[in-house]
Amino acid sequence: MMTLVLSCAIVAAGLYGVLTRRDLVAVLASIEVMLGGASLLLVAYSVAGTAAAGGQAYVLLVLAVGAAEAAVGIGLLVALVRRGRTRIDEISEVRG
Amino acid sequence: MSVTLLWWALAGLAVAGAVAVLLVREMMRLMLGLGAFLLGVAGLYAWYGFGLLAVAELFVYVGGVLVLFLLAITAMGRDSESRAIARRFDFGAATVSVGLGVVLVLALRGMLPATSPLAGVTVEKTADALLGAWLPHFEIAGVVLLAGLAAALAIVGGGDEK
Repeated sequence: MMTLVLSCAIVAAGLYGVLTRRDLVAVLASIEVMLGGASLLLVAYSVAGTAAAGGQAYVLLVLAVGAAEAAVGIGLLVALVRRGRTRIDEISEVRG
Repeated sequence: MSVTLLWWALAGLAVAGAVAVLLVREMMRLMLGLGAFLLGVAGLYAWYGFGLLAVAELFVYVGGVLVLFLLAITAMGRDSESRAIARRFDFGAATVSVGLGVVLVLALRGMLPATSPLAGVTVEKTADALLGAWLPHFEIAGVVLLAGLAAALAIVGGGDEK
């Protein structure tokens, strides 16, 4: 139960960061916090269930997808900073 | 052995890191907070008996993603820029976040046991899962990683227009 509360608190904290921070790096870091909380909950559930090895494999896959998401996010960050934009409310248009 | 002092220490480290990510304005300190959070989560994985997962978290996130963040910040010279960003407490966002957390706890509380036994999952069992029933997911994750790498290269190398 404590792990459930901890995981949900971490997800909620990350969501608050995503909603309130305006700096792109801080928003990306908040998304990583949310992902960490969700992964922790997956671990707790796999421990509680009977498929702990499957749970560990599943969280490994989540880690890989999270790393890919961070790479794309940092790529976007670098591209936006090149265009002189560092805050999330300065991004209001897409091209193509 | 349900909730020990070590569990509380690791959980406190993770929560302190998450709070630092929310509140700190200076980029380097924000990254330190993120590092503390990731170390706390890796420690909790190890506490549950998921040693491979703890090592993977350290290698992929602390050794990879966090260092990538730091490289991006230092390369762009943005380590002190965000101090100028004024922030204030957002009651609506806090309500939504706390509400989501409470809803998650209430929705999921019946699915966890009162005590959390240590899993003790071996690498062999995980390898069997990854290369057995989870093989399609494993391959798809590899493709997603490759697509992410290609997308990041395409985005960063897309030109220097202002």
